[in-house]
Amino acid sequence: MQFRTTLRSLCLGAALAASTALPSFAQEGEVTIALRVAVNTFDPHMTGTVGSDLSVLSHIYPALVLRGPDLKLQPSLATSWEMVDPTTWRFKLAEGTTYADGEKIDAEAVKWNLDRVRDPKVGARIAGWFSLVSEVNVIDPTTVEVKTSAPYPALADQLSMFLLLPPKWAETHNPATETLSGGPYAVEENVPGDRITLKANPDYWGDKPTFQTVNFRTIPETGSRIAALLAGEVDLITGIPTSEIARIDAADNASAGAVDSTRSMLIKFNHEKPPMDNLKFRQAVNYAIDKTGIADAIFDGKATVSQCQILSKDYFGYNPELEPYPYDPDKAAELFAESGVDLSQPIEIEVPVARYLQGEEVTQVIASELTSLGLNMKISEIEFGAFMKKQIEGRDLAQMAVQGLAWPTIDADGMLTMFSPGNVYDYWGNEAFGKLLDEGRETTDKDARQKIYAEATKLMCDEAASGFLYVQPETYGVSDDVTWQARGDDWVRAFDMKPKT
Amino acid sequence: MIRYLLGKLAESAIAIWGVVTIVFFVTRILGDPSALLLPIGASPEEMARLQADLGLDQPLFLQYLSYLGNIATGDFGQSFQFGRPAMGVVLERMPATMELAFTALILGTLLGVVAGTIAALNRGRLAELVVMLFALLGQATPVFWLGIMLILFFAVDLRWLPTGGYGTPAHLVLPAFTLAVFVSASIARLLRSNLLDVLKEDYVRTARAKGLMPRVILVWHVGRNALIPVVTMIGIIMGELLGGSVVTETVFSWPGVGRLIIQAIETKDFPVIQAGVALIAFIFVVINFAIDLLYGLLDPRIRERR
Repeated sequence: MQFRTTLRSLCLGAALAASTALPSFAQEGEVTIALRVAVNTFDPHMTGTVGSDLSVLSHIYPALVLRGPDLKLQPSLATSWEMVDPTTWRFKLAEGTTYADGEKIDAEAVKWNLDRVRDPKVGARIAGWFSLVSEVNVIDPTTVEVKTSAPYPALADQLSMFLLLPPKWAETHNPATETLSGGPYAVEENVPGDRITLKANPDYWGDKPTFQTVNFRTIPETGSRIAALLAGEVDLITGIPTSEIARIDAADNASAGAVDSTRSMLIKFNHEKPPMDNLKFRQAVNYAIDKTGIADAIFDGKATVSQCQILSKDYFGYNPELEPYPYDPDKAAELFAESGVDLSQPIEIEVPVARYLQGEEVTQVIASELTSLGLNMKISEIEFGAFMKKQIEGRDLAQMAVQGLAWPTIDADGMLTMFSPGNVYDYWGNEAFGKLLDEGRETTDKDARQKIYAEATKLMCDEAASGFLYVQPETYGVSDDVTWQARGDDWVRAFDMKPKT
Repeated sequence: MIRYLLGKLAESAIAIWGVVTIVFFVTRILGDPSALLLPIGASPEEMARLQADLGLDQPLFLQYLSYLGNIATGDFGQSFQFGRPAMGVVLERMPATMELAFTALILGTLLGVVAGTIAALNRGRLAELVVMLFALLGQATPVFWLGIMLILFFAVDLRWLPTGGYGTPAHLVLPAFTLAVFVSASIARLLRSNLLDVLKEDYVRTARAKGLMPRVILVWHVGRNALIPVVTMIGIIMGELLGGSVVTETVFSWPGVGRLIIQAIETKDFPVIQAGVALIAFIFVVINFAIDLLYGLLDPRIRERR
């Protein structure tokens, strides 16, 4: 009997302890964002991962410009900027801006950061973004000039991903593990692998942030992320299967949706291996694949079919004139016959494992559609690192590979460059295309560039340089306590969110 | 005894050397991490420079020698992803793993020993059937499924407990219970069959004939003998749990070592993989050592043989 009483009081005690220790659910002035992967480093020059590291750090460190929810550039530390000549940019900085310890965020600080990221001794992982920058000059404390070795029209876009460390502080601190706020928030608590809590920085020089507290919680498992949203523990989640959108919408405390990401899915052709050097064969592949069917069946209609180009609507240089190859198996069969290719030869299609949203399923659909037209398809699933090594160093991709491509500046220059002769990613080797891209880089006139990229994308489409598939959807779920404009470029930021009134 | 201990220590050192060597060469088979560490569009020159920075451009054997030399001094190198000492990154996650492992182990052992004893003492009765049925279910249920079900019921529907995360006792309840179910099921099944074997022994009959109290017989005559294999099993389970319970840690967003090592494998963060595996090997060796010593306490015959 006594044992039973003890047991009962133990259970009660445990339940009580549990209930009092529960985390406070979404409160006034507080917002919680779920990350898919943990933040690895606090050094913004040692990571190019927007979805976790850079998103969190963008609350702490200032940037010259920011990309707003509408994907347009907004002033931030830089109040204005202009291209003085094709290789010179000038940025005018806000006045009276400081880090939390009083260190000035001035032209010298900007120069120090751009010099640091390009210094080979530092080994910055994002050094490649600024390889065209040749020198940085301080004109006066609030004016900084950036010179490039060649025209770099997307420099300002690239700078929206470049966060500025405090130079003096960095002399005596390790930026990989420590932070000093120069932005709207400061780190209050960091539990590695679990959560980072930010508090509003009272000395912030910009607009006061809406939320006093921002929690970033790492929830790697999709099912657990959805559960956390439905339980009211988090306000924003991303990366859910499109099939879960309806289930979240049906809940009474959250809603979900999908937007186009900046990542285009395509079948990368290895033109160096027959029969991919055969134009009719490549075109036939494009006719043979039911893009709309894939978007509807696998992505619940939440994916947008690519318009015969690897640029999505958000990209500068997107060509609105192009239309996808229609799904036409008869035409495909005809072209396969005309191509003169021996269809019985084995054709391999590779797909990196667990890299792209439902990438393996899409590959199976593609392979089965091609098989039904008499091709002898073989699917190879391959680990992503090995796939990249094969692609870049080995230059030995299979005849086809399902791949997603995105370029951080959301500009045709960069995205299309991956198909330009001489680029490590290119297997096409089309000189005319390469020439167009060179021309696009030589001018900074927007209309002229637009025209050049229209020509380039048309060439890629006509030549069926790759199999154009769809734009990978970016899925999200958001609690009814906040509003957030969904975006396709991976940034998750509390200062883009508002409490719902 | 001292010779025995020294022999064991030498064995342990060789085992750890073997593990760190295997993990070194296996990580090299994973391939070049530079493609994963640099943003898209990185040039071959940048990749080559990064490889040089990470020391991966050296001949493999030289890399191995300097690796052995460094870990002899406790230096596992800088993590490729975290940009700080790899062992520090791993150790930082150890408290979470230990908290979960020990809670699950204690809870699971208590449940398992009680359930196993009830089952053995109620041979052929309903109680045995019920216990064994639950034990079978506990062992057969995938941890992943059980975890998600518990989250949906206790966190989403009832909102009694958080869905995941780390920090308060409330966060510990569901993941510890999920693991304890498996632990207790294994222990209950093993203990029951051992108890039944021992209960048939002549010395138990003798003890009963002497008129000893049933409780004394159960604890001193039966329990001590039936527990030896159970102690071994607890040791193995403890080793596994301390190595990080990858699935449980993932489902409950628990920031433990298991999840860290999986992440390190995915991103080819060689130093973190090496540090993590070396630490787990070390833990296993220590536990084995402790179990050997425990055997002696439980069974004087083993003690004397030494």
